[in-house]
Amino acid sequence: MDQQIGIKRKAISPIKILIYIVLSILVLVYVTPLLWMLSVSFKTNSEVFASPFGIPEVFQWENYQVAWSAGKLGIANLNSFLVCTVTLISSMLIGSMAAFAIGRMRWKLSSSTMLYFMIGMMIPIHCVLIPLFVQFSKLGLTNSLLGLILPYVTFSLPLTIYIMVGFFKSMPTELLEAACIDGCSIYRIFFSIALPLGKTGLFVTGLMTFVSNWNELLLAMVFISDATKKTLPVSLTYFVGPYSTNYVQMFAAIVIAILPTIFVYSLFSNQIVEGLTAGAVKG
Amino acid sequence: MDRILRDKKAIIIFIAPGIILFTAILLVPICKAFYYSLCDWDALSKPVFVGFDNFIKLFTKDKTMRIAIKNSLFFMLFSAISQQITGLFLAVILSNIKKGKNFFKNIYYLPCVLSSAALGLLWSFLFNQKMGINQILAMFGIDGPLWLMDTSGFIILPMWVIGFVATWQYTGSTMMLYMAQIAGISGSLYEASYIDGANKFQSFRHITLPLIKPMMVTTLSLNCIGSLKFFDLVYNMTSGGPNHRTDVLATHLYNEGFQYFKYGYASAIGIVLLVLCLIVTFIINKGLKVEDYEL
Repeated sequence: MDQQIGIKRKAISPIKILIYIVLSILVLVYVTPLLWMLSVSFKTNSEVFASPFGIPEVFQWENYQVAWSAGKLGIANLNSFLVCTVTLISSMLIGSMAAFAIGRMRWKLSSSTMLYFMIGMMIPIHCVLIPLFVQFSKLGLTNSLLGLILPYVTFSLPLTIYIMVGFFKSMPTELLEAACIDGCSIYRIFFSIALPLGKTGLFVTGLMTFVSNWNELLLAMVFISDATKKTLPVSLTYFVGPYSTNYVQMFAAIVIAILPTIFVYSLFSNQIVEGLTAGAVKG
Repeated sequence: MDRILRDKKAIIIFIAPGIILFTAILLVPICKAFYYSLCDWDALSKPVFVGFDNFIKLFTKDKTMRIAIKNSLFFMLFSAISQQITGLFLAVILSNIKKGKNFFKNIYYLPCVLSSAALGLLWSFLFNQKMGINQILAMFGIDGPLWLMDTSGFIILPMWVIGFVATWQYTGSTMMLYMAQIAGISGSLYEASYIDGANKFQSFRHITLPLIKPMMVTTLSLNCIGSLKFFDLVYNMTSGGPNHRTDVLATHLYNEGFQYFKYGYASAIGIVLLVLCLIVTFIINKGLKVEDYEL
């Protein structure tokens, strides 16, 4: 709103200063725990109690080595990466195909199909946990990464479809018509025109799918018991309970676990907002 | 054009993978969960149909269930109120400042993308009786409380602590959705209101608020369903302890189903959770009637 009435205001008003003070205090609330974690992960166990808030005297890099091997974080990282990438690609493809059919093509049942998918948004994953586990043990899908990917894709579909339908609906008809006249098949229209045009939407849904599946704990904990198949969040639970007196290694493990998401986030953070804004305005 | 968009074969090819997955992984298991919830089943033998026994036991005999429902509802109210207020407040403020807008927004949204399992561990140590916050308090000579172990009062202290952490982690997403909606409001509406002599508060009250109401329905539903489903933070901060006092529906379900292998009983908890989610969504959608504004 300031942009609209900015003409009146040349001097910095006290309200503005107050706002920035509040915002900065909040930044501290958000950043301090993360920085504290980072500093503790480089300390020794006794140092944590002697000088909890100082900078570590000697940077204990071996905390990371021990955490990495004790928690089997290497294989866990790889598993998480595999599961998330496959989930990401499949849910984006399946979801946007369905969204294109719902948002753009003309058929009677399109709105009821949309409703069917939207029900998925309200259903907590917990209700299907036991039936799915029983079914998957019969099919031999527990303790396998495929057994995680299938439900992850399914539970990512509603949001993907919801956002992508908005994008496809707002796409200018002329482009699709022109392609039709040029003799494009419907598949060609989808893959070479609709999909590239919906890039922003795909980006947001992709990022959200990736983040939520990277962090998913309950399903992975129930379905996977084999140590070589565990994903990152499950591996972290190794540091809870009987081993949890080893604070510094646990903190090193937490840092290892959240670094990839911080990295991805810092690369793409501005696009998240743009995509959400575009989706919200259009959808 | 029309003929191509009505191509039945293409529609089926586009929609089939989604429908098949959805039916196999979501719809069929839910129907099964309904059936299992009516069975006595300990994972080893075959399920035995017992009618509503599980539900009767849940609501009359199970003390942990009573605590879990109370805790889950507390989380729902707490996060709905705290996230709506702080999320909307931050969204309005950040939409109105120019300098540092992206910086603040990115910082506040950051915890949303991080693993709540990892953050739960981190906070459980910040609220440990010997570490973190109590070490700060000790510097001032104050004996800090047992943040995650105290069991006095109707809503016990650990619940407030976990509620605070949840707000800390998830407010960013509410804020982000509100910001997206506010960015979509045309600036000319505000200009018109200022010409008519409205002040900032009035324009917020009469332009911003009504126009973001649809987003209020969305975010409120997300807040409520999200906090009813709550598992990661509770599991990694207290594991439901001490003595099941911080159990929520999801941790109770996990314990009954995968620690004691009472599949039928755990399915019944799942159904209660599902019904709660549906009721809450229904109430929010009915209670906050969205009027359509032509823009």
